[in-house]
Amino acid sequence: MEDGSEGKQTMEARGGGRRRSGGGAEARRQKRRSGGAQQYKFITRRLAPFEVLSEEGLSLIEENAETILEEVGVNIVEDEETLALFKEAGADVKGERVRFPRGLLRSLIATAPTEFVQHARNPERSVTIGGPNLVFAPVYGPPFYRSLDEGRRYATIEDFRNLVKLTYQSPALHHSGGTVCEPVDLPVNKRHLDMVFSHIKYSDKPFMGSVTHPERAADTVEMAKVLFGESFVDENCVLISLINVNSPLTYDSTMLGALKTYARAGQACIVAPFILAGAMAPVTPAGVLAQTLAEGMVGIALTQILRPGAPVVFGSFASSMSMQSGAPTFGTPEPALVLYGFTQLARRLGVPCRSGGSLCGSKLPDAQAASESAQTLLPSLLGGVNFVLHAAGWLEGGLVSSPEKLVMDADQLGMMQTMSQGIDLSANGQALDAIREVGPGSHFLGCQHTQANFETAFYRSAMADNNSFEQWEAEGGKDTYQRASERWKQMLTEYEAPALDSSLEEALTEFMVKRKQAMPDAFT
Amino acid sequence: MADEDEDLDLNSLSDDELVEQMWDDLYDGLADEITQGTHILLERGWQPYDVLTKALVEGMRIVGVDFRDGILFVPEVLLAANSMKAGMAILRPLLAETGAPKMGKMVIGTVKGDIHDIGKNLVAMMMEGAGFEVINIGINNPVESYLEAIEEHQPDIVGMSALLTTTMPYMKVVIDTLKEKGMRDDYIVMVGGAPLNEEFGREIGADAYCRDAAVAVETAKELIARRHNKGPSLEAAG
Repeated sequence: MEDGSEGKQTMEARGGGRRRSGGGAEARRQKRRSGGAQQYKFITRRLAPFEVLSEEGLSLIEENAETILEEVGVNIVEDEETLALFKEAGADVKGERVRFPRGLLRSLIATAPTEFVQHARNPERSVTIGGPNLVFAPVYGPPFYRSLDEGRRYATIEDFRNLVKLTYQSPALHHSGGTVCEPVDLPVNKRHLDMVFSHIKYSDKPFMGSVTHPERAADTVEMAKVLFGESFVDENCVLISLINVNSPLTYDSTMLGALKTYARAGQACIVAPFILAGAMAPVTPAGVLAQTLAEGMVGIALTQILRPGAPVVFGSFASSMSMQSGAPTFGTPEPALVLYGFTQLARRLGVPCRSGGSLCGSKLPDAQAASESAQTLLPSLLGGVNFVLHAAGWLEGGLVSSPEKLVMDADQLGMMQTMSQGIDLSANGQALDAIREVGPGSHFLGCQHTQANFETAFYRSAMADNNSFEQWEAEGGKDTYQRASERWKQMLTEYEAPALDSSLEEALTEFMVKRKQAMPDAFT
Repeated sequence: MADEDEDLDLNSLSDDELVEQMWDDLYDGLADEITQGTHILLERGWQPYDVLTKALVEGMRIVGVDFRDGILFVPEVLLAANSMKAGMAILRPLLAETGAPKMGKMVIGTVKGDIHDIGKNLVAMMMEGAGFEVINIGINNPVESYLEAIEEHQPDIVGMSALLTTTMPYMKVVIDTLKEKGMRDDYIVMVGGAPLNEEFGREIGADAYCRDAAVAVETAKELIARRHNKGPSLEAAG
């Protein structure tokens, strides 16, 4: 530290004179210390997706899904409008139960785009969802927040803002996400306004909308119109929102209400059956897949009935469970198999897909958390998922958001970014020159090829400690949890908000104030 | 072994042997055998209350211990609870006739705005398995539904469930309404659901937050026992 400041003084003393273009100590310090701060673009995979089902297997599951839709059907709960829409489209409606003739939903889904752009307020952060592309978004939904300093407690809007900031600062998180934690300190009927505003103000990455009530979805669309302009929102996707199916085979009016609001506005929905296998679906992967496909097609088709061509994503949240306690389990092999099969089914359906994440059941960001998260993240990349929600910050089966886990996961996401590009087979990648130059014996550290490539040759983890035992001990013998705690707090002190036009900020604030005044605080 | 099973005539067993066999049959989830065993004990002149406590409740206690210890799996416990229910169906009217002490009655439902019920139904089944009478009022219940069910069934316990952070505050609405009507202290209020914790349960004024079905059963037993111990005079004074 002292050496550094001395060096700085020397540089300043010399200031104004001629310099070599290399820049010397200060220039390199500047570059290396800010290392990794530059944002990554969303991933465009060069690896072929890993597949677990043959053509025969896929057809079998698709047929089973059609059988489920035809024989069993789904319940559409307390939503006459949706029942009428499906009836008109050719479904068999008896009470709340809706059954679909074979092939009907798949034909309705044909108008859904295979990929689409979700615009961010900073055009450089816009993401393409679908095709060979992959977008990482942070954890969604936890009511609790855990940090090393404070332990586990209910989350607040302050935590929410901090998680948005950390996500903004994490290069490999391409998306700001949605409910990064549930700010339970705010009234239920108003917290969505603060959440959407936080995403807009503290980040310039694309974000997700509120789904807990059709009116709150409408508020989100209105705020997007203030930000992007009304006609831009009508013609482009600027919001993506999470619509969960209440598995098994049930859609509720809250989720459908939000889905209809967004689809009519031309905004994207992720239609995601939420399955803890054994409770919400059969225990077998093939059973989970058929049910997921059947359930997903219902919601996806509805978006296309409402607005043909509306952007939509087929989602799957599928975990295993402990049959001894009923607790959901993560990082187990069966959900990974489901994920691989699911992405294949989604590609055949012709819509982008969402699955995976850095999921774990652990209470702390410990060894269990790391291994389970790795076991779900790697399949997310290899399987060809397009939108990975819960990619960072998830603990305890999704009940807890953690800033430490977020920075640990974000580090892993950076590795996925590199992994996704496969093997470079260019002349530089082949490195024959290096092998010619060095020859037998000797070493590669000083050769020209290494000099030209060393800086970016290997992913540099911001979290791992690879120092000698002595150095690690001298620096306090810190474990990952402690290092992560220091890292996110450091990041927040360095945080600078992306510029937001003050007239836009005023207009958004005005909208929020008006909406908050229009209704008393409510708890539902 | 299989032959032995088929040959086993419950009538040929002594009372003690039969009761032990019923513990095993509960453990193995054999509803028909529990029905038969219950009838035999009654025919032998057992008091319904003794059949309940010595055969069924004790059998389910063993199930509960092994569930807690990770030996039994959830689907097995459900089978056991169903078998218990089969025995209870026979005993319930007899228990009412004889004025035997009751395990307790519970009204349980998911609160307004929330249609998630898998966990709540698990609790209901486990409570029934422990001998409680359970009135399951389903999902999406406004406070009026709770009041109606309370009025009609006069339960000892009111149970509320929520899976969503947006619906869990409604539990407080129900409890506050009970308070306004001066009814709150007439009932044990138990709450549960993934987004809850102890602190939340206390803050909204519930008697207990139960993290899972097994804990719900234990808590219910404990609170009911505490209630029984609280004499009427004390209650009047308090």
